[in-house]
Parts: sequence; C-alpha cells; structure tokens
Amino acid sequence: MAFRREELVGRSTGKANILLERGPLTRFAEAVTETSPIYQRRDAAQAAGFDHIPAPPTYFFSAAEYWGAFGEEQPPDATPDPNPMGQVMGELIGQGGLILHGEQEYTYHRPVVAGERITSESEVVDYYTRPTGERTMTFLVTETTYRDEAGEVVLTARMNLIHRS
Amino acid sequence: MTVTDKDTAAEPLRFEDVEEGDTAPEVRHTLTRTDLVRYAGASGDFNPMHHDDTQAKEVGLPSVFGHGMFAMGLLARSVTDWVGIGALRHLKVRFTKQTWPGEELVSAVRVTAKREAGGEQLVDLEISLANAEGQVKVAGEATAALSAAARA
Repeated sequence: MAFRREELVGRSTGKANILLERGPLTRFAEAVTETSPIYQRRDAAQAAGFDHIPAPPTYFFSAAEYWGAFGEEQPPDATPDPNPMGQVMGELIGQGGLILHGEQEYTYHRPVVAGERITSESEVVDYYTRPTGERTMTFLVTETTYRDEAGEVVLTARMNLIHRS
Repeated sequence: MTVTDKDTAAEPLRFEDVEEGDTAPEVRHTLTRTDLVRYAGASGDFNPMHHDDTQAKEVGLPSVFGHGMFAMGLLARSVTDWVGIGALRHLKVRFTKQTWPGEELVSAVRVTAKREAGGEQLVDLEISLANAEGQVKVAGEATAALSAAARA
C-alpha cells in the first residue's frame, strides 16, 4: 500500500533538544580521521576564531541526538504518533528489499560549538516513487532545522532515503 | 596514508589564490575494521552490517561495510583540510557504492566556480571519494567561504 505524497509532506518526524558536549565532538572528529587541534584543544579552537570546539560538518546525523538528547530535556511532542518515518519505513521493510541512505545535504549558517543548546525539528519534505525496470524505488526526503537558543537557524540537514523493492 | 599531525599555523586558503579548476591535495585513507568500530561508537550507529561479519555474511555480503556517513565525514575532512574548518557553507553528497575494509579511499576536490553572495567570497567545489581503482563511493558538491566573514 503506497502512501500519497500529500498525506506525508509537512508532517513532523521528530523534535529534539540537543546539548553539544565537548567530548563527543572531539571523539567524533577523530572517528572521521580529523585530527586538527581545533577539535582537540579549546585554545586551538579559539585561536582559529571559535568560542569553543566546533561541531564537525557531519556531526548532525545520528551522533548529535545520540550524545546530546537527554531524556528529561526532550519536548513533550518529541516523537509524533504516528510517526510518518516509522509508518513509511515499516511498510517498505515489510515488502522486503533494501533501504539505502541515498543523499545527505547540509547548509551551514554559522558554526556551532561545545556548550551550545540546539533544538531540532524534522519533517517530511518529499515522497515519490520511480519505476526502475520491474522494481520500484521509493524516495523519502526529510529536512531537519537546527536552531540556537535565540531561535536563529544555525544549520539545516536534508536526508534522502531510498527503498528498492 | 593518514594525516596524523597538522600545521595549524598554515595560512588559510585565500579567495584570490584560487582559480576555477584548481584541485585540493588528495586525502588517502585505507579503511579498517577499527575505523568502522570507532565510527559506530562515535556516531551511535550500531547497525551490525558495519561491525558484525557473521551477520553480514548471513545476508550474503562478503564482509561488514563502511558507514556511508563515515565516507561523507572523511570527504568533508578532505575539503576542510583545504578550505579551513568553519569555512563550509553547503555540503551535499550522493552515496553511490559501499566501502569495504581494506579499500584505499581517495578524495578529489575541484573548484567549479568562484562567486560572491551574501557579502561572502565563495568557491563552489565538486567533491568525490573513490577507491584506488576509481570506483566512486560518494560524490557531490560543496560551497566554502574564503578569507571572508568572521566566524561565530
């Protein structure tokens, strides 16, 4: 049972309150082979113009919530019910096939650094299917907007998941 | 080869010193299982396809394979090695092939345009990460601001 685009686009897939802690930022940088002192030492970060150690460019995917979304600090509507992400992915996984991370995109408005509190809001921005031979490819695109404590957008992230039947 | 020590006193890349078609130094990195485990722990992505060979083989894969977001992170690092940390304004990639332990991953970063927008001097970059045989794993585009705005 396919979903209709108009019943998905615009729906929330989740919200989070995220604290950026120094340790996870440093270890994440190392995990992507980044060894610059800017991610290791606050004085080096400050010498490069940052207030504190900055978040690496791809930190805002799984890592940010894994390390920084503490249970008692989450908004009451953190996880929508039903969650369109769960509905679509559950349906597609039930059909078999593979779910792939097709694309990832970031737009950076300013660097965010250790000690900051960031909020995230995610929603479905596109959903479409494309026949490829005898198979069908289904695309689900979500966008997450990250804001600082003043409510200014610091970062947006767009994720494109592909299901291949 | 992995860069293990960096000269932070190096002059930042300047807008006037870059021309369309210029390329960044290659970053080369041979993917190891330790990379996969470290990235799993640092990112919170514990999909067993990235650390459990037994389960990976049960579903017909030759071995565990690398996180796509590790490849993107490595490629992003190869960009910021050149343009400077904090200079990225946009980064977009497609994940085209899986990465496998033992593969050498090689970055390619090329300037496609120079322009000014929003009071910043920008370079648009074509970016990719491929194995030593040239099979592209991750490809896309980036935009960086050079010798411009104050960083937050």
